[in-house]
Amino acid sequence: MPVFKTPFNGYSVKFSPFYEDRLAVATAQNFGILGNGRLHVLSLSPNPSQPFTEIAAYDTADGVYDVAWSESHDSLLVAAVADGSVKLYDTALPPTSNPIRSLREHTREVHSADYNPLRRDSFLTSSWDDTVKLWTLDRPSSLRTFKEHSYCVYSAVWNPRHADVFASASGDCTLRVWDVREPSSTMVFPPHEMEVLTCDWNKYDDCIIATASVDKSIKVWDVRSFRVPIAVMNGHGYAVRKVRFSPHVRNLMVSCSYDMTVCVWDFMVEDALVSRYDHHTEFAVGVDMSVLVEGLMASTGWDELVYVWQHGTDPRAP
Amino acid sequence: MAMRDLITGATSCPDPAASSSSSANPLGALANALIGSSSKTNERLKEIPTSIPTDPSSHLYSQPPPSQFLPGSEFDKPFFDPSSQGSQFLNGFRSAAASGGGALEETWDEIQRDGRAAPQLDGGLYDRAAPPPHLHQPTLDGPPQRVLSNFLHSFLDSSRGGVPFHPAPLPMLGLSEGDKQCIRDRSSIMARHLFADKSEEFIDAQVNALLSSLDIDSNVRGKGPMPERFRELEDYWNESQGNLRPGPHPADGWIAEYSQNRANLDNPDSWANSFEQQHGANGWVSEFENSQLSSMDQMQAMNMPNLAAMEQTRMLANTLAQNNDPKFQNSKFLQFVSKMSRGELIIDDNQVKETAPGDWATEYQQQYNPGHSWAGEFLNDKVSHGPDQWVNEFNDQQHGPIDDQWVNEFSKLHVGDWADEFGQQVAEGAFGESSSDNWAHAYDEYLNEQVAAKQQSDSSRGVYVFSDLNPYVGHPNPLKEGQDLFRKGLLSEAVLALEAEVLKNPENAEGWRLLGIAHAENDDDQQAIAAMMRAQEADPTNLEVLLALGVSHTNELEQTAALKYLYGWLRNHPKYGSLAPPELADSLYYADVARLFNEAAEMSPEDADVHIVLGVMYNLSREYDKAIASFQRALKLKPQDYSLWNKLGATQANSVQSADAIMAYQQALDLKPNYVRAWANMGISYANQGMYDESIRYYVRALAMNPKADNAWQYLRISLSCASRNDMLEACDSRNLDLLQKEFPLQ
Repeated sequence: MPVFKTPFNGYSVKFSPFYEDRLAVATAQNFGILGNGRLHVLSLSPNPSQPFTEIAAYDTADGVYDVAWSESHDSLLVAAVADGSVKLYDTALPPTSNPIRSLREHTREVHSADYNPLRRDSFLTSSWDDTVKLWTLDRPSSLRTFKEHSYCVYSAVWNPRHADVFASASGDCTLRVWDVREPSSTMVFPPHEMEVLTCDWNKYDDCIIATASVDKSIKVWDVRSFRVPIAVMNGHGYAVRKVRFSPHVRNLMVSCSYDMTVCVWDFMVEDALVSRYDHHTEFAVGVDMSVLVEGLMASTGWDELVYVWQHGTDPRAP
Repeated sequence: MAMRDLITGATSCPDPAASSSSSANPLGALANALIGSSSKTNERLKEIPTSIPTDPSSHLYSQPPPSQFLPGSEFDKPFFDPSSQGSQFLNGFRSAAASGGGALEETWDEIQRDGRAAPQLDGGLYDRAAPPPHLHQPTLDGPPQRVLSNFLHSFLDSSRGGVPFHPAPLPMLGLSEGDKQCIRDRSSIMARHLFADKSEEFIDAQVNALLSSLDIDSNVRGKGPMPERFRELEDYWNESQGNLRPGPHPADGWIAEYSQNRANLDNPDSWANSFEQQHGANGWVSEFENSQLSSMDQMQAMNMPNLAAMEQTRMLANTLAQNNDPKFQNSKFLQFVSKMSRGELIIDDNQVKETAPGDWATEYQQQYNPGHSWAGEFLNDKVSHGPDQWVNEFNDQQHGPIDDQWVNEFSKLHVGDWADEFGQQVAEGAFGESSSDNWAHAYDEYLNEQVAAKQQSDSSRGVYVFSDLNPYVGHPNPLKEGQDLFRKGLLSEAVLALEAEVLKNPENAEGWRLLGIAHAENDDDQQAIAAMMRAQEADPTNLEVLLALGVSHTNELEQTAALKYLYGWLRNHPKYGSLAPPELADSLYYADVARLFNEAAEMSPEDADVHIVLGVMYNLSREYDKAIASFQRALKLKPQDYSLWNKLGATQANSVQSADAIMAYQQALDLKPNYVRAWANMGISYANQGMYDESIRYYVRALAMNPKADNAWQYLRISLSCASRNDMLEACDSRNLDLLQKEFPLQ
């Protein structure tokens, strides 16, 4: 399956919600510790000799830690940049016009971006400045800042069923659930004893959320009853960096970890680990599942490689 | 698009905004935005409840004037190829500017300050759009990042190939303060992810070694330490709160906030930090006063622990070697960290030097010669500002003068009193607006969770918590009284009578069983489980008890325990016991147990109980359609079973059929008007449909019947805030039922 070499270390990869062959990759130089960043927009081609075409690449002054596709415009991207800025790019415009926006409010590294899948006019960013910010396309400053976490917020994701609800995962070891109509978070609980690095909502059950942590575990929770997790999945050897629920199979999820592997899980089964992919040679930090093609997955890592493959096949197979 | 809508749930979303804005043709939407159909844009905006009025002329892609927006956007020009002449030229130019007294920069800064539009500044490569003072960014014009990265990469390559590393003398040097801050912060945060198993000291040492190799002062930390560091203080706090089980991180809210603010300071900050490292957070508290007198001595002793910490980094190579995975052995990143932290590479006087691994300590000491040592700096600082400097600065920074009290009281009071005092001040709003409310809120929740966690841990061990004052103790036949009360639907009274019974006859399985059912119907699953477990001890084969335990554990989402009891039900059933192979009991898998029950249902389709258990099982696996079918089948056989109607309703609610659920609950309430659980469930279903006012009324009704239903209190709180009835939150938090009932009567 296709492999793409990025000049910098990969940080995040996302499939386009509009085109089944398109994906965006966020990268950062020097493992994101210091240096520039680059955002790649790639297209898969059927030609096996050159599986990827680069549609666009945008350079930034600091590493790009995350990227999110707009849900309303097929060419629009939101980039989370380590210098604290949030940048919007439109691949339909010439490179000189990009980025179309650079939103500077976060005072520390921006670590995640997530586009509202229901309302489609707004997006969230979370940052190491302990806040989450809500933005819309048409205004130069954020609508709201959510500041309750007491340490880096690594991830903030919209609920796929409720347009106003989102969850945030933080290094303060808590998960918070927010409703943007409310002045403060509606729920807070400590899903792990260590830093929580990522969270994602189930795409079929609006009450189910997964968290993963530096403690190497992934836990699945019902937010109505968060005292006991629905499932605990162990198997990663180092901190789990990202977790995503499948858009097609209710109980399926994918995770990637500093142990350099990408794992697929079925959280309702006793023996939850469905498959383990060992193709990266450095930390695997970005993973995604295609909404448009069932079973199509993509991952990236600090080995500067982007893999796209069909679930069940070997990512490295030619 | 259809698949996509299905997945994102757009079609099922009741919000008209979502469907109206989901243009089937994204290009059309884009065109709209480009052409500027601002009416639609604004319409959508109004639907964001928190949005503030905006300039209608600003829609997507409009470019506001640079003076009010986008400082630093000039950065976003595409980079030059590093090998191109232009780039070298610019690099040289930039370094010249940097070393040349920064006249250009000053001019630029002034322009920025005046807010005048920047006149076409050569592509803006000098843009110094001054970041906020606490923000240190590596900017393109500062350090020669390309040179640095080439240097790092050639270094990495050489480490892999075993080729001796001959770095070229770097023409431009070193790292700006911003870069150093950046490396320091980011490597600290990453190290915490990677070395999660190690102590904080180890992580510090790791990072310190890396930083000292790059000639970065490791004493100032940008990002406060992790909450774990404060465990000791947390224990104190917990003790003062009355022996709560130490939860994950109850107290770290204010601590982290405190340390964050503190981290914004420079030297004073490092003082506090290092002091803490030396003495522990606890020591910091107790020695706070002393330290003001004797801080000089303390400070001078500081270099020692730091050097000792550096020694620890020798362990790094060992740590990495412990992981036998060849992938890890070959990881460039880990080699990078490892080599750096062994001090095999230093940047000294703008020259990259390779040093023998043994020399680093000396180098380090040289770098930290007394004249520039951190302690010296601190002393200087101290002389110039006086010993209270950092305290004052902290106060100024966070709260203004008002909070001098805070420091005074802090030092005067015992920890317990201090905690109360602190809570009071927060309640009085003494700490300013922004942070304290959130803080208090978050902390309350932590406390509640802790109490809940404690209750849970008690009752999951099967400890039943008796009521304090029980008028039924000493009655001749409390079981009979309890049964009567239960039949009349006076559940809370029945609980008391039955408690009196089991206190009198602890071996009475029927007493415990009925007590458990009363609790379950009163919407208290934890107590229900505890009572049922006692019933099971007294009579291990009672089918009703086993079924009830299975249901309660299902409600608590404890699959393993639920399976155990449901399987026990099957095994002990006279008709189906033969179906269940005893060896299965050791390793219960959901699929196996579900299969057995399906067999049982085939065996006797007229047995309502089997269908009930199947319904519960399908709830466990979240196959709600099947669960609903099972309960409906059971209801055909047992239409008068109110708890069955409730189960059906709960299942329908879980599968997002809240309207149907309300019908089912109504059936249950018609059969049993005092069924607290059904009242509370009714509230949940209304809340799920967004009818928060109705839901509040039902919760209040349920709570009026059983004020101990903790879950219902939580739900009520959520509904109150969703209905924007924040005015009643206090009544909810203080559990003022009179007020709530008056405010929310059930029509």
